[in-house]
Amino acid sequence: MTQPRVVERFRKRTIWFHWIHTVAFLVLLVTGAILFFPGIGGAAAGGITRSIHRVAVVFFVGAPVIYSVLNPRMALHFIKETLTWGIDDLEYMEAAPLYYFGGPEENMPPQGHVNSGQKMWQFIVLATGVLFVISGLIMWFLKDTVPAGLFQWSVIVHDVAFLLAFLMLLVHIYTGTIHPRMTESLRSMWDGKISVKYARNHYGKWYEEISRGEGEEKE
Amino acid sequence: MLLQPPALALAKDSHNQEDVAMLVDVTKCVSCWWCYAACKNYNKLPETIKPDPEQPPPLSPKVWTTLKPVKINDEWHSRKQACNHCTNAACVEVCPTGALSYNDLGFVQYDKDKCSGCGYCAEFCPFGVPQMESNRVSGVAVMDKCTFCIDRVTGGEQPACAAACPTGAIKFGKRAELVAEGRERVAALQNSNANAVFYGDKELGGLHVMYVLDESPEVYGLPVAPEEPPAALVRDVLRWVGVGAAAAIIIGFGLNYIIFREAKIVHELPGREFIRKREEENKK
Repeated sequence: MTQPRVVERFRKRTIWFHWIHTVAFLVLLVTGAILFFPGIGGAAAGGITRSIHRVAVVFFVGAPVIYSVLNPRMALHFIKETLTWGIDDLEYMEAAPLYYFGGPEENMPPQGHVNSGQKMWQFIVLATGVLFVISGLIMWFLKDTVPAGLFQWSVIVHDVAFLLAFLMLLVHIYTGTIHPRMTESLRSMWDGKISVKYARNHYGKWYEEISRGEGEEKE
Repeated sequence: MLLQPPALALAKDSHNQEDVAMLVDVTKCVSCWWCYAACKNYNKLPETIKPDPEQPPPLSPKVWTTLKPVKINDEWHSRKQACNHCTNAACVEVCPTGALSYNDLGFVQYDKDKCSGCGYCAEFCPFGVPQMESNRVSGVAVMDKCTFCIDRVTGGEQPACAAACPTGAIKFGKRAELVAEGRERVAALQNSNANAVFYGDKELGGLHVMYVLDESPEVYGLPVAPEEPPAALVRDVLRWVGVGAAAAIIIGFGLNYIIFREAKIVHELPGREFIRKREEENKK
């Protein structure tokens, strides 16, 4: 029996979804950030960036909706996974700081298909997504109908969601592509595969499950 | 000005001696609408018609000043309504592009070319003054409001409305002088009318359009204690928190990378030690 050298971690459609959502979010991020960070608002003069913001949001909301309609089981699994937190996650969170700052790997609790840090990012994406959409709809369509106070606090909710999502995106990008230990993370988001060695190192629990033919093989 | 300091630091309550202002005396207004017509004429805003006094035109991108009619004891009174040019102006604080700013003479000026049409000024103004018609789908819009006739005023002339007023109900001048005049006028009115009040002297750090009123401000549609919406201050703080947090995270990652590059080499299967410890604990 020959051992496979790579295991599949993400399906093609999930990878497509990830990158469409990424591009849409980056466009939203840039066109939004210029209205948020002090001193760079001049880039929004004329309002073209606000129109681009509205085009991008169609993809930002449309992509997950279409993905969920086509793959309801996987979408539900994603939401369940994101919202399920247990003692394993606590142990991970405890051990993670040392690990990310170069501590010994053998102290890390083995992780499932996603580690608790990734799950935290998934939670931020879901939670800020809801905040973005609700406050955004109020500012876009209900500007003239809701009381000024509600509009004002919608701006603040949009701002807070932006801050959370932007700061955690920095973490996501760093840990996903640059951090010295995450050697195959970015690759897995291109071809969906990681080496067996990487799977055992980073997602030990998941690797054991799929080796026994159990559990979710991929998302 | 590249970076605007937070509103908290910017809040000011003293005025430059050069500050100009207008003093609107409702007891002298005869509702002739000349201010409205002069504003439209001078600022080239179309549709100059004498409006129906019972249904006056609301402020809009084409109506920068209007009259607010008020019925008191079966008698019609009017209060001229336009931008009040606050000293601590919420619109200036929330404007992301710097299109709205303070003129050296104290009033609130704006540069239409810089406007992004976001509408924050309209939604944060305690008086509901800035106006815009925006495309519902694309969001394209440009804000308009009273300019204080900036080119006339900086050229040494009065604003068009003040120049047109035939009764002296709209006076233009140095703010300090108009404050003194307004107080005097209200004191005189109070001899026969205890409700008379001077409005705009202290509100929002001091307005640059102040009112002599013969009834409480509410009657004339002016909030008694206007304030900058708290959300405007929250937003100012958030913006700088964002700058700080982003900088801290990026610097942190840089240090993390420089220091722990060598951790790239995988020596051990993770979890081995963790599992051993857990099993030991389970045995106990």
